[in-house]
Amino acid sequence: MSLADQLSAYLGRLWDRPVQVLDLTRIPGGASRETYRFDVEVDGERKGLILRRDPVGSLIDTDRRLEFLAYQSFYGRGVPAPEPVALEMAETELERPFFIMGRIDGGKAASPFTVDPYGVHSATIGEQFFSILGTIAKADPVGLPISDVAEVPDKAACWSKELDYWAGVIETDQLHPQPIVWAAIRKLRRNPPPPAQKISVVHGDYRTGNFLHDGEGRIIAILDWEMAHLGDPMEDLGWAIDPLWGHFDPDKVGGMMPRAEALALWEQVSGLRVDERALDWWSLFNAVKGQAIWTSSAREYRDSGGKDPVLALSGWYTARRHDKIIADRLASLEGWA
Amino acid sequence: MTPTAAEILTGNFMALIEPPPQESVGDYMASRISVIGMNSLLASQEVEMGAAVRVWENGAISALLSKAGAPLAASTEDLSITALDALNAKLRLALIAVHEAVEAKGDAALDREILTLYQAMADRRMLVLPVMPGS
Repeated sequence: MSLADQLSAYLGRLWDRPVQVLDLTRIPGGASRETYRFDVEVDGERKGLILRRDPVGSLIDTDRRLEFLAYQSFYGRGVPAPEPVALEMAETELERPFFIMGRIDGGKAASPFTVDPYGVHSATIGEQFFSILGTIAKADPVGLPISDVAEVPDKAACWSKELDYWAGVIETDQLHPQPIVWAAIRKLRRNPPPPAQKISVVHGDYRTGNFLHDGEGRIIAILDWEMAHLGDPMEDLGWAIDPLWGHFDPDKVGGMMPRAEALALWEQVSGLRVDERALDWWSLFNAVKGQAIWTSSAREYRDSGGKDPVLALSGWYTARRHDKIIADRLASLEGWA
Repeated sequence: MTPTAAEILTGNFMALIEPPPQESVGDYMASRISVIGMNSLLASQEVEMGAAVRVWENGAISALLSKAGAPLAASTEDLSITALDALNAKLRLALIAVHEAVEAKGDAALDREILTLYQAMADRRMLVLPVMPGS
């Protein structure tokens, strides 16, 4: 039975009516899961959907339930998140767990390795990008669906929870000693940040390339919530402004707008304050987190027989760029033990 | 360890040799081939500089270890990437241990030298993508 037939059968049972899946096509992006676009025809009406299925191998090991609940948490709440439709944890339907969400047509995502992807719309897109991040940071997680399963860390322990996790990933997956990232991890442990101002939903991968824009200056979807969790909102901010995502423009964060303007927007919308000491910590942390993801990519690339070129690029080119970012940051930090 | 050029080129072959399922042709396959192309381009840089970078890094780490009183030779007759990486792994492990000791001792001057070495190591291993305009 083809994947389309399996999907038709599943949705037919779920909705208790005949469903026809049409034009099922795998699409690039969202590299932690297999992503497919398709239409369904049900009761004479046609609707566009997205299937996100667990992969055989991936950059990162993430919880699809958390991702699904993150979409549920923000869909229709001031953040352009796609509509969550169905979550299936059993492996009997499509061989691996998956979820289905609404498709938002008419948008495109920038490749992080292009220059000036937003052109004349960069400032407009930047305003929305950092405002939406501020909205996510401002939201009270209590009562949001993601709080049903996400661990709530202590404000003073957000940093150690995240650092312990990602250092553990590097420890487990590194195939070669990495003195630069380990120096950063030790430095982060010796110089903890202040406690979080509040506990927020952290998107976990909020950056250029993980949203759709319409080409006319409007962000129409925030995607790739697979690393969503609860924690310090400064974490997302540090990731969003990491130089890796700067489109080779040192004067604009995310290739969109000057750093000071981005932070001011985020402060205005979130109602929180950017503590530069905390942001320094979370910025270095995010480069470490990135290196952990690339380390896992390199491991998965080798373990899976080298069949996924995205894992190769991540575990190689991006890993080396983050080594450079970390090394430069370590050399420039002042007043750190 | 980041994949070697040999692994990347072998992987490119493996990624292309299996016919994709029907639902994976189109945009997905076009994107996949584009990434394979990028990997091939970057592999050409790695083939050109890979051995030289490793020889340099091994020598630089060895020199720093000597200065820190923990000498470890960097020389090898075998200039294959595999042999250079095996030696590099030993040197990097020793460098990590020395750096931890330097931090514990509070030796700011040597710490600064190690951080400068890290910058040089990262610099020399950088790969360069051509300018690709956004769509």
